[in-house]
Order: sequence, then structure tokens, then C-alpha cells
Amino acid sequence: MPTQMNIAFNFSTNQLLETAINNNDIPIGYACNYVPRFLLNVGKLFPYRINANRLSGGTELADIYLSQVNCSYTRSVLEIAMDDQLEFIRGWIFAAGCDHLRRLYDNLQYIIAPDFCYILDVPHKSGHDAISWFSQELNALSAAISKHFQIDINKMNLAQSISDHNSLMESLQLIANHRKNDSLPFSGAEFHRLMHATWTLPIQSMKPIIENIKNQLPNRPCPIQYNARVLIVSSVIDQYEWIEAIENNGALVVADRFCTGAIPQLEICSQTDDPFYNMAAHLLQTNVCPRMMDTYERRLELIDQTIQDYQIDGVIIAPIKFCDIWGVETTQLISFLKKRGIPVLRLERDYSFSVEGQISTRVQAFIEQIMQ
Amino acid sequence: MGIFSQIQDQMVFYQSWIKNYQNILRMPLDHGPIQTLQNLYKYPWLWQLAKVNRLLTIVTNGRQGNYRKANAAVVEKIVPNLVHLLDNLVKDTDRLVLHEDMVPPEILFAMGLKTWMSELLGILMPIVDSHSVEKYIDIAENAGIPPDVCSLPKSTMGIMLNKEVPPVKAILTSNSPCDGGMASYQLIKNKLNIPMFQLDVPYNFYNERATDYFANELKRMIKWLEKHTPGKMDWDHLRVICEERNKMAAHELELWESIRQRPAPLAAEAIYLSHLWCFNVMPGDPSGTELFEYLTKLANENIQKNIAAVPNEKYRTVLWNPPLLHFIDLFSWAEQQYGLTLIMDSMSYNRQPFIDTSTNDSMLKGLAHIIMTGPMARHTRGPAQNYFDDMFYLYTYFDLDMILVAGHIGCKNTAALNGILREKCRNKGIPLLIIDYDLSDPRVVSHDGIIQQLDRFMENIVIRS
Repeated sequence: MPTQMNIAFNFSTNQLLETAINNNDIPIGYACNYVPRFLLNVGKLFPYRINANRLSGGTELADIYLSQVNCSYTRSVLEIAMDDQLEFIRGWIFAAGCDHLRRLYDNLQYIIAPDFCYILDVPHKSGHDAISWFSQELNALSAAISKHFQIDINKMNLAQSISDHNSLMESLQLIANHRKNDSLPFSGAEFHRLMHATWTLPIQSMKPIIENIKNQLPNRPCPIQYNARVLIVSSVIDQYEWIEAIENNGALVVADRFCTGAIPQLEICSQTDDPFYNMAAHLLQTNVCPRMMDTYERRLELIDQTIQDYQIDGVIIAPIKFCDIWGVETTQLISFLKKRGIPVLRLERDYSFSVEGQISTRVQAFIEQIMQ
Repeated sequence: MGIFSQIQDQMVFYQSWIKNYQNILRMPLDHGPIQTLQNLYKYPWLWQLAKVNRLLTIVTNGRQGNYRKANAAVVEKIVPNLVHLLDNLVKDTDRLVLHEDMVPPEILFAMGLKTWMSELLGILMPIVDSHSVEKYIDIAENAGIPPDVCSLPKSTMGIMLNKEVPPVKAILTSNSPCDGGMASYQLIKNKLNIPMFQLDVPYNFYNERATDYFANELKRMIKWLEKHTPGKMDWDHLRVICEERNKMAAHELELWESIRQRPAPLAAEAIYLSHLWCFNVMPGDPSGTELFEYLTKLANENIQKNIAAVPNEKYRTVLWNPPLLHFIDLFSWAEQQYGLTLIMDSMSYNRQPFIDTSTNDSMLKGLAHIIMTGPMARHTRGPAQNYFDDMFYLYTYFDLDMILVAGHIGCKNTAALNGILREKCRNKGIPLLIIDYDLSDPRVVSHDGIIQQLDRFMENIVIRS
């Protein structure tokens, strides 16, 4: 019998996804936050953040192509794609975000050759010139989507899509803001389930879930006991079990500065009469991936600000192994945080949730360090 | 081989050896003993570079006649250029700019700036002494850089972290060739605490949007350099540099035509080391043009006399990815062991040899193309199609028998294409060896380990078939 603890977050993302597909909604897979969700949210299309939660074993097949020295996210996605578990995706959109994603695109094209598979060039800078170029790239993507899916993407429906997106983000922000309080009505793992659903379901499927959660939160106690409030800094985390493993050891994940988290993904996109420029500016200036060459200071500021806003006791940086940009960035973040006297743990990981025992040992030791 | 030829070959070696030491000794003579001692203390890698004549031994070993002369000439070109670069440690240091190897220095030269290529030491030192960058790799890893990052940026970061970098005043870099290389520059900037400009190279540069964006990036870079350094753009000087580079490129194309001959009149270092140095470190230098003119002359002489660079040439290959820095002797060994001749390599092969010097904009567009289509930008970062198209084009154009890939363990971009490559080669019936090794660190796979891989491949695949 469901308790009050889990009623609010008791929804099945997979079931809702199935319902949407049965309803003739068209999932368009995207694999990086630099892909504009707004463009995939017109007509019957909806954006589906590609994940490999369905992966049940290893990545033996994908390793033949991508090799074992590549990021396990890309290997896991290729593995389940080769296993036909992502057949429901009707179009694939990649961003040339990093070495691994570019090669995932190349291998997917070679092995599976989906009907619609597109790679979007993304600048490594966020100034006006880069935004202008990127808005042209978004225009080209828009034209390709229109042509393939026979959907008219115009300024009006794009403005509507941005509006819908912003409304969703604002609703989520109301929930996310609870995490700044002394007492939280949900755990980090629960919140992560919500975020995962947000990135993989149509907006209309999310609305009732969010409303339901918002209604129940005022009377909800914090579902877990904890000794420290932590911030997770990482790239893509799709399994809420990973957050759960951390929280099982006395940490409460109150802030999530990772690609599939809320910080800073819940920022809203500004709207003018040039939606392509707006989208380009939003994507380049809001995302804080270390792939960007000119946002280093902003990335540090965001972490600093998050630590203050969310009353953080310690930071866990969890790069996926073999990611060079996160590997080098982590070294610098550790030095930045240590200089400020913030306890920090480097928890290198695989994309798939595994080695729970090792995570527990490291996190327990970290919490003890924080409490000293 | 007659006794006279043997004596001649020995003479080539010793003449070159003496000339190189004369050039090396120029540094302490020019700088004076105190400054030289200070430099040796401050920059311990100078001890390694002082052994640069080892390179002569490596590249002339087992080579005869014009092939030997050609390889010796390449080293003779490198040594004085290197000594000239080392002058930058003490002279005009307010003009000294640290630049990444993927950013060719033509514009910097035209602005009257002095250059120090960040990766120069990481490339040159293991060539001269296999183990010489291990220390710097360890420093980077001990500072927290993951061991799986490419050893070239790791050794570069190690040098910076150990404060052994020349007194540079600004940094110029790009997002090429890989994430590891790109990410390393933020750390370098933090360490040196000097201004930095990063060129944003598009991923897919085959459209007007990307070309325009990148040509404008170069303009922004020039403005930035004018603001942050004493350098001023001299377009006429840039034109002279580009025209000289074009002349050098024309000779190189002629040289490439000559090595299409079977057997090849020249091979290996005469082709790739000359390109690596002249086009990346000192483009626009008239002595580079002279070197390529000389190499072409030697190649043509060999063709006329029907002399092969490798007397028993049996197999011809391309080497994909950068040459095995800590084991460049591999090919002189393979020539003698199997008659295996290295004809061309991915680092030398360029699709944009000439720069249109008619206007300032056309020069910038030409340079933009050279950077965007540079081998590692085009193959390592760029779409997979670039990688395979070039590889199979070279296979046919140079009448090759196999493909060797230097499978550097730190290169995730190319490792991710190995699966496709194996299948494509199998379908085309092309023998393929992907050598497992690390670019600069012989502790990962030893020289014996590399030889063993090549031995097995040659004996089981090539000779048997």
C-alpha cells in the first residue's frame, strides 16, 4: 500500500511514455542539453532525452564499435539501440557537444542508419557572434525537422513552444525551491525521478504529475534522515538509484548541478520576435557544461551561489569515466572548493548504476569528514 | 652497396652531426655562460633538447644514399629553428605568445610576435628521448588529471604545473583537436594567470555559415592580440609569409607525386617529419621551402637512377594518427625487417595546400581553411566521413598495401571509429593493424610490445596472404 511518502512521486514514466506514443505523439530523441527542446515540441513531436535506463547488462556489442575508452553513456545508448530497445524513437538529434557524442552519432548512423538522424553544430563560446552562428544552425535544424516530419515550424508555434516550456519550468521551479528550505518534503532521488520524467515525457503528460506533487507537498515531511546536505556536480545522471545510494548513507541531495538535473536547466528562455536567436542565446548562456571555453568563471560562480542558496555542507563531483572535459574540470573544481574550505568528494563513476557498495564506502567516509 | 657509398653515407652523417652541434653550441655562445646556466636550471628540459642529435642517429639508421641525405637534411632544418625558438626564452619576451599546436603561427609572425608552441616539448622530447616526458605526465596525473586523458596534453600540463614554461605573455588556443586538449588550456590559463584567446573551430566546416564564423574568429583573434600584446597586424608581411608557405606547399605536392612511384624514392621521416616541423612550427620560413625543394630534388634523382629509398621495398603503408612519438625508430626497423615502407601519414596529408593571397580577407579565409581542415581537426574532431574518405583515398592514390593505425590509447575520438574501420577494411580486403600504444608514454606499451604487434600482423596477415 503506498504511503504518504511515495504517493506524490508514484508515477510510471515508462507507462506515460507508452501512453503518449499510443496517442500518436512522436518522440524525438536528443542526447545533449544543447539540443533545443523547444524545436522538438511542435505539432505531435515531443522531446525525449535519450537514456539507457533499459540497459540490463553490459555494453559488449557497443564496445566493439565505440571501444572501452569511451564514455559509458554513449556506449550504453549504442548498446540498447543495437538491441532495438530504442526503436520507438522516430528521430535522433545529437549535438556536437563532445568527442563521445559526435562518435555516437557516427556509429549510430553506420550501424542503424535511422530515418532521421541529425547532428547540430554547437559553438564553444557564448558571445554574440557565437549566438548568431548558432541561431543559423538552429534554423537549419528547424528546416530539416519540418521537411522530414512534414510539420510547419513557424515563428508563432515556436513562440508557443517556448511559452509552454517556460510554464513547465516555472512550475518545476516552485517545487525545486523547496530544496532551499531547512526541511525538504522530498528526497533527492524522488526529485530526480520527477526531473527524469520532465526530460522524457510530453509537456501535457507532466502537467498533472506536477500539479499532484505541488498539492501534496505542504503536508509532506522529509522522507529520509540525513546528516549533511550535498550538491551533486556531474554530467548526465539518469538512474535515480544512484542518488538513492548516496542518500542511503546519510546525505541529502538538495542540489543537482548536472545535465539531467534542475540547476540551471529550469531557467526560462527569454522571448522576442526572433525565437531562433532567443533559443540560441538561452542554450549557450544557460547551460554550464565544461565543454564551453568561455564560461569557466560562470560555472564556478554558479556552484558558489548554489552552495549558499541551498545551504550545502559538501559537494560530490561525479564525472563519468573517460570524459576528458569533466576529468580536467573536476581537478580545477576540487582546487576551487578546497580553497573555500568546502568539503568535496570526487566520485568517478560509470553511467550505469553499479558498485553500490563502493559508493556507500566513499560517501560514508565523506559524510564523516563533513561532520568532523 | 659499395665501399664508396658506405663512406659517403658516413660522411653525410658526420657532416650533419657537426653542423647540428655547431648550431646547438650557438645558444650558450649567444646567451653567455651565466644566462645559459640559469636557463638550464629554470628549464630542465633543455638538457633533453641538447640531445637533439640523437634524432639524426634515429632517422639515418639503416638509410642509404639520397634517403639518408634527405632525413639528415630534415634534422639539419629542425636544429637551427629550435635554437632560434629557444632565443625566445630571453629575448623580446614581452612579445612571446604561447600557442596551441593546432593554431598555425603565420598570423603571429605577421604581427611581429614571438611564438612558443605549448605542445612542442611534448612532441619533440619523446622523439629525442623515449622516456623524457614521463616525469611531466606523472606531475599532471598527481595533480588530479585522469590517467586516461591523452598524454600529449598531460605532458604539456605537467610542464606548466612544474613552472617550466617560458615567460609567455598571452595564450592562443582552440577547441581542437580533442576535448582533453581543449580542456587543458583552462588549467594552463589558471596556472599562468595571463590572458587567453580561444578559437572556436566548427565541427562541420563544409558550409558557408561555419566558414564565415571561423574567418571572423580569426579577425577577433587579431583584434584581441593587438589589445593584449605589443603585436600589430602587418598584412603585407602576412602576404609574404603565406606566399612562402604556398611555395613550400607546391614543392611538397611535387614530393608527394614522386613517392607515388613504386618503389618510393623517399619515405618516412623525409615526408612526415619535414611536414610536421615546417608547416606547423615555422611556416613561411624560406629555409623550409629550400628543404622541400631539396627533398624533391633528391627524390627525382632517385627516380631517374631507379633507386628505391628502401632497397627491398615490398609493402607500402599509410600511418594513421600522429607518429609514434617515443618510438619513431619503428619504421627504420620495419624497413629492414619486412621491406615495409611508410609512404604517407594522416598528419602530413592536407586538403588545403594553398592560400589565396589576393586580399586580406582571402588570406584569412585560406588560413581559416587550413586550421579547420588541419589533419587532427578534420579527422579527430570532424565527421567520421572525413576520416574514412581520406584514408581510403590515400590507400588508392599512393598504391598502398595496408593501413596502420597508431591506436593511441588516449585518443577516444579515433578509438571510437576502430569498429567501423575494421569492418570497412575487411569489406575492402585491406590489411589493417591498429597498434595499441600510448603516444608519449612507453610505460603503457613498450617498444618490444609494439614490435610484437607488428611482427604478428606481418607474419600472420600480410606475408601469409
